[in-house]
Amino acid sequence: MFSDELSILLVYGLITGLLLGAKVTGMLVTVDMGYLLSSRDENRTLEGMLGRADRALNNSITALALIAPPILVIALRDQSSANSLLAAQVFLAARVIYIPAYVFGIQGLRTLVWTAGFFATLILYFLAL
Amino acid sequence: MTPELTVLALAGLLQAVQFVLMSVPANLELGVGKTLSPRDRERLGGALEDQLSAKTARLLRALNNHFEALILFTLAVVVVSLSGQSTALTAACAWIYLAARIAYIPAYYFGLSPWRSLIWMVGFSATILMIVASLL
Repeated sequence: MFSDELSILLVYGLITGLLLGAKVTGMLVTVDMGYLLSSRDENRTLEGMLGRADRALNNSITALALIAPPILVIALRDQSSANSLLAAQVFLAARVIYIPAYVFGIQGLRTLVWTAGFFATLILYFLAL
Repeated sequence: MTPELTVLALAGLLQAVQFVLMSVPANLELGVGKTLSPRDRERLGGALEDQLSAKTARLLRALNNHFEALILFTLAVVVVSLSGQSTALTAACAWIYLAARIAYIPAYYFGLSPWRSLIWMVGFSATILMIVASLL
């Protein structure tokens, strides 16, 4: 039952986890420790590259929530095919590029790879249905 | 049904409990006139979440934090279960995750520092460990 798409999903989950870890590490350096450990009652917005990493993370989590259902359904029903694998690979590649594209503010590329990831997700839903 | 799936179901219930914990005081504080409205900022005079009391706002942040944690945890649990890779280690990780996420709520509510962050780290590490274990 273990499909290659599931491995891709796992790798993507791990990357999202690492990005979260990187954001926390970045906050350790730039935001004072007292605020970080506090209840954060005062809302502080992250700025610069850290703010971008934060937004990239939120976007990655949304993408993860969307891509997980079709990949799981495809695995459960043993519907894995060359097409579904390709779509999952395109998704992973696009989302991997998305992170540095956002953090380094590469305009155009970020939107392009986001769109590629989004369409790969839609194709997986189509294949799962 | 693997022990990890049982924990996942319990974590889903925890999410519902957290929602109630937040929404009851939120509705009492703001009034249903505001919460049932479309919550337009210009009408409310700012974001709805900024009008909550400090402690209720903490419950809201704890709820949102669990949403994010749950997405990663769901992924880990389902893959471990589907691929038949459930072990004593992954089951222990799942229970540790749930315990950490339960402890996270009072830690946030009472502003226990640095315990909230440490508890968060425990839940996060348990999830990542499950993902790594199923990749190996």
